[in-house]
Amino acid sequence: MSSFGAPLFITRHVLLALVVGGLGGVLLMAFLIEFDHFTSSNEFCTSCHSMTYAEDRYRETVHYDSASGVRASCGDCHVSEGLLAATWDHAIGVKDLIKQFLGPDDDDPVINTLHLPEAAFAARAWFRQRDSATCSKCHTQEAILGKRADTAAIHREETEGKTCIDCHYNLVHRKVPDERIFKREAWNRMVEEEFGLEPGMADRLMTEPKQAIGSLPARSE
Amino acid sequence: MSKPALSKPLHWAWILLLSCLVGGGHALADKVKLDPGNWGHEAGKDCVSCHAKASAGLASEWRESAHQAAGVNCMDCHQAERADADAIEHEGQIIATIVSPKDCSRCHEKEFAEQQGSVHAEAFAMIEERLPALADNVGGPGMRAASCDQCHGSRVKVKGDGTLDAATWPNSGIGRINSDGSKGSCSSCHGRHRFSKAQAREPEACVRCHSGPDSPDKEIFEASKHGMLYVAQRDEMNLQAPEWVAGRDYTAAPTCVTCHMGAAGKLPSSHDVGMRNAWSLNSPVSRRQLLVVFEDGGKLELPASEPVPKRGSELTRPDGTVGKVKSVATPERRRQAMSMVCLECHGKTFTQGFMDQFDGVVELFNGKFGEPARTIMAGLYEQSLLTPTPFDEPIEFTYWELWHDEGARARHGASMMSPNHAWWEGMYLVGRNFYARFLPEARAVAGARAAELVEAHLTDHEQHQWLNRPDRSSTILGFGVGEGR
Repeated sequence: MSSFGAPLFITRHVLLALVVGGLGGVLLMAFLIEFDHFTSSNEFCTSCHSMTYAEDRYRETVHYDSASGVRASCGDCHVSEGLLAATWDHAIGVKDLIKQFLGPDDDDPVINTLHLPEAAFAARAWFRQRDSATCSKCHTQEAILGKRADTAAIHREETEGKTCIDCHYNLVHRKVPDERIFKREAWNRMVEEEFGLEPGMADRLMTEPKQAIGSLPARSE
Repeated sequence: MSKPALSKPLHWAWILLLSCLVGGGHALADKVKLDPGNWGHEAGKDCVSCHAKASAGLASEWRESAHQAAGVNCMDCHQAERADADAIEHEGQIIATIVSPKDCSRCHEKEFAEQQGSVHAEAFAMIEERLPALADNVGGPGMRAASCDQCHGSRVKVKGDGTLDAATWPNSGIGRINSDGSKGSCSSCHGRHRFSKAQAREPEACVRCHSGPDSPDKEIFEASKHGMLYVAQRDEMNLQAPEWVAGRDYTAAPTCVTCHMGAAGKLPSSHDVGMRNAWSLNSPVSRRQLLVVFEDGGKLELPASEPVPKRGSELTRPDGTVGKVKSVATPERRRQAMSMVCLECHGKTFTQGFMDQFDGVVELFNGKFGEPARTIMAGLYEQSLLTPTPFDEPIEFTYWELWHDEGARARHGASMMSPNHAWWEGMYLVGRNFYARFLPEARAVAGARAAELVEAHLTDHEQHQWLNRPDRSSTILGFGVGEGR
């Protein structure tokens, strides 16, 4: 029997373990908070060259430059709220890191644009699955007034069964058609035209990137 | 009405055309035969509910339309297949922004069949190859979308990201080439989204394009007796009539539609606006023209000087495709169709007399100015005295304006009875250009060879002989014989 009246199984070792475990846990939590915070920042995301293409367009939008000075960072939209969910999203995000090193050369603007649609479709699905939760972190549907006469009424009366992303896609990044009407053929032709590639080059870059990539025009970056 | 003599092989064409011209009923807009079960799309309600807020003007125009009254909603016209080149996803629906003539033809079959292949539907295709030399070189690429294409139409480009290329859209030019391959834009004349038949029957429906230096048809109509009556008696035009048969539903005045498309007496209406035109008027030299109609619905204008193609024979069209001839309308038949409209208000001799006056002006332009000027230009090109590139030499502008602007005004002015346009805005300027600009410039370009390349084409021409009599004074300039009397 301890003189402090604590239960018998609280031995010195157990006490030590609790203190160490507790402190460790707090430290881990603190680390995860800091880690999630850091890995949600624009600086971290765009430290991969492949992500700078997404950034270029984003910088032209109101989500980057707003009159009020509020700026939505990559993570504000693309990482869930809450420590566990955020950590989970980042864990899943590791696959992007793996792709960066082992996948097609997404640092190349041509390859990047060719693969953009699938990335966009995945991102939209992610938003839809979460009922556009990251949009709602900042935007309150009932509070949307808009500049035009009926924007408020539309958001009140015409949104049943819809989530933000259903209407508001192609808002921040390069325009990609909806998956249901997406035409790979037309997209590839557009990429060829945009980058001055010979017809058919885009299809080869999609199917056999290793062989085709050598014949791409040199980048001046 | 006197029937033009027809050779035997033409009998079939005569019969076919008569049935085509006379047998088709009266209504300008044919009754829709499609079962109403084919429209009234379920999702239409949601479109209207939101668009009444998001674009109130558009929704409100539709509310006033016959479409709305018949239960035709946004989705009925705008729905698209996923595979359509211009399909987009919008609020959960697959739609297309552009409603092409082909889309309209789901209900308006007859109008589509008439309109396809018409001079309106081909308005872009026929100038596409010529566009760069004027629009791009003399103007600049930005001019296409803002001017040429507004009337002629654009070749609509759907970009790989699903958006419509702003260089080609918005556009409601009448010969627009749509991504489904159909040509034209119904909304060119039928204003969105009310699509009022009364509005399309107004002369103003045509004014956006048929005005200005090269086809001042608005100005000509306004300056004509027809236009005078239209303004004075506009209240009696009965523009809302379900059918709009000249001589029956209205007699107050004709509009553009009356003569070029409308029903009159037994003559049925047609959305082939050029069908009643015996002449081509916007060409360096006017030609009487044959209208060839193919089995597949395509059409082709041929000079009447060429042999009339036989029914069932095959012809290669300008786009390289081969078409099987279904029927041919001779210039005489086309003139007869146009005259049937006149006869609702005028006598036969009056009508024939007017046509003779009109033909006289066209033939005068052709023989005295159009043909000699073309021959002189052809000679200068042939002798490499002019570069093949158009508009890099001043005389090319001179020649262009001679037939494209001034010559077209003279011919249009005579065709629709504006004395001012026939002469002061037309043939007077043709004459002034020919004698005071074109010939001096041509002589300067020809240099030592002017006698052979320029004068030779004038000396035998009776109409230019007055130039050889420099001693005949007149008081017209305030000098000479009779001065001061």
